[in-house]
Amino acid sequence: MPISLIVLIIVVLILVLMYNSLVSKKNQVENIFAGVDTVLKKRYDLIPNLVASVSKYMEHEKSLLEEVTKLRANASKPNVDTHEKMALDAKMSSALGSIMVAVENYPELKANENVMHLQHSLNEVEEQISAARRAYNQAVTDYNNAIEMLPTNFMANAMGYTKKEVFTIVESQRQNVNVKELFK
Amino acid sequence: MKSVSELTDYYYKSLYPTLEKLEIERKNLRYRIAIIGMFYTLIFFLLFMALAGHVQMSIEFLGFFVVVYLGIGGFLYKYLTKDYTNEFKDKIIQPLVYAIDEKLTYAQDSHMPQHLFERSELFTSSPDRISGNDLVQGEIDGIKIEFSDLHVETKHRNSKGKDEWQTLFRGLFLVCEFNKNFHGKTIVLPDTAQSTFGNLIGGWLQSKNFTRGELVKMDDTEFEKEFVVYSDDQIEARYILSHSLMQRVLGFKQKSKHPLYLSFIGESIHMAIDYNKDLFEPAIFHSLLDYKVAMEYVKTLHLAVSIVEELKLNQKLWSKR
Repeated sequence: MPISLIVLIIVVLILVLMYNSLVSKKNQVENIFAGVDTVLKKRYDLIPNLVASVSKYMEHEKSLLEEVTKLRANASKPNVDTHEKMALDAKMSSALGSIMVAVENYPELKANENVMHLQHSLNEVEEQISAARRAYNQAVTDYNNAIEMLPTNFMANAMGYTKKEVFTIVESQRQNVNVKELFK
Repeated sequence: MKSVSELTDYYYKSLYPTLEKLEIERKNLRYRIAIIGMFYTLIFFLLFMALAGHVQMSIEFLGFFVVVYLGIGGFLYKYLTKDYTNEFKDKIIQPLVYAIDEKLTYAQDSHMPQHLFERSELFTSSPDRISGNDLVQGEIDGIKIEFSDLHVETKHRNSKGKDEWQTLFRGLFLVCEFNKNFHGKTIVLPDTAQSTFGNLIGGWLQSKNFTRGELVKMDDTEFEKEFVVYSDDQIEARYILSHSLMQRVLGFKQKSKHPLYLSFIGESIHMAIDYNKDLFEPAIFHSLLDYKVAMEYVKTLHLAVSIVEELKLNQKLWSKR
């Protein structure tokens, strides 16, 4: 009788440990996403200022600026879920990238101190976002592994945990940023 | 900053007259050491023989004798080489440091302060004794940098109740301004667990290290193989260790060829390179003109100073300017 009791206790203990590890992995993902959110917001906060500074000069890129403003408005809406936030982030990154390329065509803008400062702030935030994305992807990978691997996958199934998606990192962002060029 | 080959040129061209003079002194010194050493050993041997008749032989007695022999011998050696060492550092190492950059200062008897070593948190045991020499301080490209030779020891009580000194770290310790703002602590250590026990068990052991912060898994497989990262902030650790910095740290590690410890704490980067020997000491039993000997001085100094360029610490972020 005592042996079966011991076995029962061990089984319960293993189940509790598995449960706890899954919950902590899920919380880690949410935790880090909160960090991602903070830096994303930091970038969104820079946008009105950016648009105001460059719109006078950038006649041909009006649509780009409008798109950026629209994206920011969408992101600021309440109840935007993780999936949407990630999609908005990807669009925002590419739109801002295009604006920065376009700025190169306007010597007055390149020389404008306010624009220059914004550009540098954006670069800094961009680096923070990239770090946050990498941290999030690692947390999600750990979580997804636990969900798919034995023996935690049974437990995860019972708990109704599903796979989460990672940020796709654009190839151009993986390349080393040439800071010297940026600070010229 | 001068390159290694420029410095080697400087060593063999500008310092050559001094080297030749020192080389003569070295040969005399070597001769003196050999003669005195022989006499010293002979006296000790005779003393031992004389005592052997009267005292009962035991392991303790023998051990005591050997310790006294080595202790006095070491002291004697240090005394004999002192002048030569001072001269070598004054006339060779100091000019070499200035040749790298004029803004650097060199102090042969000073070393990095204990509080910086403790702040670095690279080693979890707290040091009981710190010694060192060859302190270099200054600015490279506007970045503050200081480093020295350091020997850090801890005191242990052995099974017989006697105090024993154990080396915690011996090598080059360097502190340098970092080019990004951060608030937490991020520590990069050589990966011993993963390389000894493999990915699965080693990884698990690393995550159970309670003396450190959270384990941070990095997304660079090469880097992850060589190093293990702990931090109290997952996002910040990745902000500091960008893909490019990870590659540069790997490159630096390959150049130094010795275990590398890094920490990012309080706006600074702390680095310890474990050479496991006293650096920048003059060669006594090898020629100073020997290429290998020369390269060791030049390369070690150059490596320490090159951290600013290698890790691109001079490219400050906008908000840090």
